Amino acid sequence: MRFALKPGHVVLLLFFIAAALLPLFVDPRGHLLRVAAMALLFAAMAQSWNIVGGLANQISLGHAAFFGLGAYTSTLLFLRLGISPWIGMLAGAMVAGIAAALLSVPTFRLKGHYFALATLAFAEVLRVIANSWADLSGGPVGLTVPFLGTQPLSFAFRAVSSYYWIILALLVIVCVVFYVLAHGAMGYRLRAVRENEAAAEVAGVNTFRVKLVASVISAALTAMCGTVFAQFTFFFDPDSIFSLSGISVRMAMIAIVGGLGTLGGPIIGALFLIPLEEVANAYLSSRAAGLSQLVFGLILIAAILIQPRGIMAFFPKSRVKTPPKAQPATEGARG
Amino acid sequence: MTVATLGRRGALAALLGAGLFAAGAPIAARAADDVVIGVIQPLSGPNAQFGIGSLRGIELAADTINAAGGIKALGGAKIKLVTADVPTPNTAAAATQRLISQNGVSAVIGAFVSSTTLAASEVTERAGIPLVTFAFADQITGRGYKYVFQVSPKGTVFGKAQFDYATEIAKAAGEKIDKIAILYEDTAYGTAQAKGLREAAKAAGVEVVMDEAYPLGITDVSPLVNKLKASGAQMAFPVSYLNDGLQIIRALRQQNIDIPVVGGAAGYIIPDFKKGLGDYAEGVLSVAAASGDLIPEVAAEYKKKYGTFITHEALIHAAALDAVVQAMEKAKSSDPEKVRAELASLDYCKGFAQGVPGGCIKFDANGLNASAFPVFVQWRGDEPVTVYPPKAAKQKPIWRGKTVE
Repeated sequence: MRFALKPGHVVLLLFFIAAALLPLFVDPRGHLLRVAAMALLFAAMAQSWNIVGGLANQISLGHAAFFGLGAYTSTLLFLRLGISPWIGMLAGAMVAGIAAALLSVPTFRLKGHYFALATLAFAEVLRVIANSWADLSGGPVGLTVPFLGTQPLSFAFRAVSSYYWIILALLVIVCVVFYVLAHGAMGYRLRAVRENEAAAEVAGVNTFRVKLVASVISAALTAMCGTVFAQFTFFFDPDSIFSLSGISVRMAMIAIVGGLGTLGGPIIGALFLIPLEEVANAYLSSRAAGLSQLVFGLILIAAILIQPRGIMAFFPKSRVKTPPKAQPATEGARG
Repeated sequence: MTVATLGRRGALAALLGAGLFAAGAPIAARAADDVVIGVIQPLSGPNAQFGIGSLRGIELAADTINAAGGIKALGGAKIKLVTADVPTPNTAAAATQRLISQNGVSAVIGAFVSSTTLAASEVTERAGIPLVTFAFADQITGRGYKYVFQVSPKGTVFGKAQFDYATEIAKAAGEKIDKIAILYEDTAYGTAQAKGLREAAKAAGVEVVMDEAYPLGITDVSPLVNKLKASGAQMAFPVSYLNDGLQIIRALRQQNIDIPVVGGAAGYIIPDFKKGLGDYAEGVLSVAAASGDLIPEVAAEYKKKYGTFITHEALIHAAALDAVVQAMEKAKSSDPEKVRAELASLDYCKGFAQGVPGGCIKFDANGLNASAFPVFVQWRGDEPVTVYPPKAAKQKPIWRGKTVE
């Protein structure tokens, strides 16, 4: 792997530094910091999704499954056994990784829409289980993370800024993992799978193994985001944590609007969509029912129509992509 | 800074401002600042009609209080409502935080749906802002939180009342109940109420021949209804929001199954129930947290303003706002900490509190309104009427077509 500092990387580094300094300049208990924290968390989630969705073009609409597994694993371990959510976060990542591996066996033979539907169903199954198996999950009432004041070892803080920095650190980790995967041998194999799976197989790529590794890593990172979400919001229930529109679709949407398969895409997508949604809610939700969602939806449609390849396409040099001359052939083969 | 450095537009604005200030000063000096109260309700999404009804109740209460001179202890300060739409629990935390830090609310009222209220309460508790709610789930006041207040009884209490009242009415009508059926949607509200029903049946030695959860948004209820028919239950207790409730009643009536149905509030007692079912609605019983006929003047006012009868969520939320205002009157302050202290010791039996069965708002150590109890309403024509227990009833209940004395 060859590392060269490109302008895009400088921008990203500057962004991380600026983001790290933000809590020093805004109200540490305020609304702005909470929205910023959620935007960074969704950026991390979308980046995790981007590993399979972007690099291998396996469009998953069920990543809420791993997100929820992360939240449930750490919270249940803490509530039932008193195990710190920090350890629970790793346990959740393992559980989600195993789930992803098991799910891969039947689903990776599926293509396109069929794969998306299978992943969607998986998250729905977990939602139903969490709702009905109340002895294990606490049932439809959901789980409350106890309010402990500031106890760093138990992943509990009074200030929003503490959570904000943890979320930022998680985003940096996910971005580094994505970068390493995208630029290493793994990245080439994944892109080979994306462009033409049969050709990749013929060229000696073990496509099943490549996709398996990518989806396990993606699921584990998503689960870690789930733990952080549970700790940050203190409450979740099966319908919200395994939500199709609230989590699964949103992860994919952020990556797609930002720029599928790019390093900066999920970050730009999240920084665009999450605050936009919040602003729409703040100014419109009290005027007419559903108006804020309508406006948000219209802006989303406009964004996709104006630039279907995502916001990152406005910065062509930073795109992670195959050489242009390979495009026509692969387009044909894919269809 | 002189006028010259401001530029022309700035100077104009400064002049205008000075003029306005001079003109408004004599009056403005006497009028107190508005008191800002946050409202979180599901105004979009599947629970929108309940959220909109709740918001109307709160607006009615705010208008009534403002028209009567505002908050007297604060120099006639007017109530200013700031509303946020919270269709799902995921949106509740950010919206509540926004009301607290952007709008500086003194208290928050909402959010009808139990899970959304639980999520919002995590924010209000940490920020030290009182949250007064109508949501049912037992967990809301079961966590030892200091800043959350529940105006109506808990979900399990509703479930128990749903069973106890129904069997008492049946007994008075000369029918002994041995077998019942429970159908509930698998939400926080449905499961809590089903639990209360189940335990009450067990305590009374009545067999639950069908105990079935179904998902919210169920589209085909015929398996449920067939099972109910075959179960031999003498009475059915569905706990559901609107659409599932409509389907269940319609399917029962269309198949000429005449076993009495006792609904679990929510969808069974809103105007859309009658709209969706027409004559099939007649005689359906339901448990309720409040009813318009307990406070006729307010009910008439509401009907004049919004064109439908006042629902229990509108009434209870109006009472919630009134409770906050009373706490401010007693505290002579809108400081959240002082408002909380006065809410905790409130004993208020006037105004909108009269619409709550029991007629009062008085919170216990957990923040639960200890004086409130559920009532039974029964559909008569276009409106549900309070029929049970006798201390609150306005008319006699009808059981299998006969009036029960």
